[in-house]
Amino acid sequence: MIPDGQTLSYEAAPAFSTPLRFFLTAPLFGAAAGAALLAAPELLDSRWTPGALAVTHLVAVGFMLTVMLGALFQILPVVAGAVIPRSGTVSTVVHLAMTIGALCLAWGLGNSSHAFLLPATVLLGGGLALFVVAAFLGLRRIPVAQATPRDLRIALLGFVVAVALGITLALALGGQLDLRLLTVLKLHIGWALLGGAGVLLAAASWVVVPMFQITPNYPVPLTRFWAMGTGAVLLMWSATVYGELGSAEFALSAVLAVLCATFAVSTLNLQRQSRRTVPDMTTRAFQIGMGSFIAGLACVLVAHQSEHQVWPLLAGILILHGGFISVIVGMLYKIIPFLAWLHLTQDVGKAPNMKKLQPDTPIRRHLALHAAALAALVVAALVGNEWLIRLAGLLVVGEFVFLFANILKVLGNYRRAHAA
Amino acid sequence: MSQITSLMTDDHRHCDETFARAETAVAKGKWDEASAALEQFANELEGHFDAEESLLFPKFEAATGMTEGPTKVMRGEHAEMRSALARMREALANKDKDDYAGESETLLILMQQHNMKEENILYPMCDSQLAGSDVAAGLSERLHARA
Repeated sequence: MIPDGQTLSYEAAPAFSTPLRFFLTAPLFGAAAGAALLAAPELLDSRWTPGALAVTHLVAVGFMLTVMLGALFQILPVVAGAVIPRSGTVSTVVHLAMTIGALCLAWGLGNSSHAFLLPATVLLGGGLALFVVAAFLGLRRIPVAQATPRDLRIALLGFVVAVALGITLALALGGQLDLRLLTVLKLHIGWALLGGAGVLLAAASWVVVPMFQITPNYPVPLTRFWAMGTGAVLLMWSATVYGELGSAEFALSAVLAVLCATFAVSTLNLQRQSRRTVPDMTTRAFQIGMGSFIAGLACVLVAHQSEHQVWPLLAGILILHGGFISVIVGMLYKIIPFLAWLHLTQDVGKAPNMKKLQPDTPIRRHLALHAAALAALVVAALVGNEWLIRLAGLLVVGEFVFLFANILKVLGNYRRAHAA
Repeated sequence: MSQITSLMTDDHRHCDETFARAETAVAKGKWDEASAALEQFANELEGHFDAEESLLFPKFEAATGMTEGPTKVMRGEHAEMRSALARMREALANKDKDDYAGESETLLILMQQHNMKEENILYPMCDSQLAGSDVAAGLSERLHARA
């Protein structure tokens, strides 16, 4: 029999507003990150400036984590048959907590204002905890045999560890805890970007790349073992970081970099074999993303061996802006028009096709602006010139405003079709 | 991967390849080639739906007693894909590249989210409910006869 709570029905899928609220506020955080660079270029002096910490979290929490959670509300029922209980209410609370929490976090970090860090930890910790509990309730009877549902669970655990470490750091910064900040910080970054976001991206890619880009499947060993293997190495790496075992830590960092590069190269390789010869904007976005990941991983390894401030900065720019933002944007451009189409078809029986709801031209222009912003950020970090950094900040503001406008246009088309 | 899941998943991928051929031919303005590829795709898609609707789903419904469950949802999605396919045919008949690209993109996403549900949820259920039956052999026969 079908396990309780497992269904394939559209009716079981969440309302349009459930994921959409996440997708609508996320670009505003991206634009805020750009505005911060524009207003205070000195924040790029090192990864440790309060401004750099604020910008990183505007992007990582305000944009990336927010979109990922919104998308999970939508895809858990489709790829795993898991129905999140009371998804409407849960999404409203999670979204509010994450949004206000991200604002408090960025403000608290940027202004070294510890009074904001406590509410940030409560809101972000509480919001994520609520989501994870709801997701695991939905997933509790779903078999773990398949790669994507299993790896989604691993990613959720990765995010829990990352946020717990983040809360620890915030408490330490506020003077409530005494610990080795650098150690906890390294662990926080590793778990957030790899244990959480990286594994989630891989879990989504196992299905998204072969199915939507019509490529061969990922090699079976990769889908079967990559996420678990990466999780296991991440645990060992964490032990070496905690134990301050420098050379073992570097060796395991290199293993993790090789694992990540294997995923990125494998994705690019599959995309080269795509049966679709028509240019697809999501495929382009993935290509920018995978190329940036590979370059960013190289910077991570160089940063291990070099004292120069620029390498961690470049790694951060390439992995966050070039890697994650590219693939997330690429997926948003599929998810939002499809949901608009789906809800229109359900509500009024007919809908304009995907490309009428979301034409290619503005996506192409947006991706060009995104690539220009990435190039400007890399050059600005290398050169360190104040005006170049301001220009990069301006381009980042521009790309996120463009993304926001494109999403609003889809919604405008949706409303018009709904009213017609 | 079990028999039914494996067989039907492979057939999804096979249909995808023909879908991509039609898409490429339209983009290049090769209308005759596009028409042939789209008709082949339609034939493969209809054969796949038929194998499910007349064999797999009834067997699953008989084994589980569920006629209002996932198979009903899947039949509904088949109907939506048939409508999308009709709109693609219309765009191709009008030699309208943009319209075809939009309808084709819509069908692709509709089809793949449908395939995800079948491959991740419904087929594994069929494999466990219909283990030891000859359903997989029957499906294989129908899918091969279609080609």
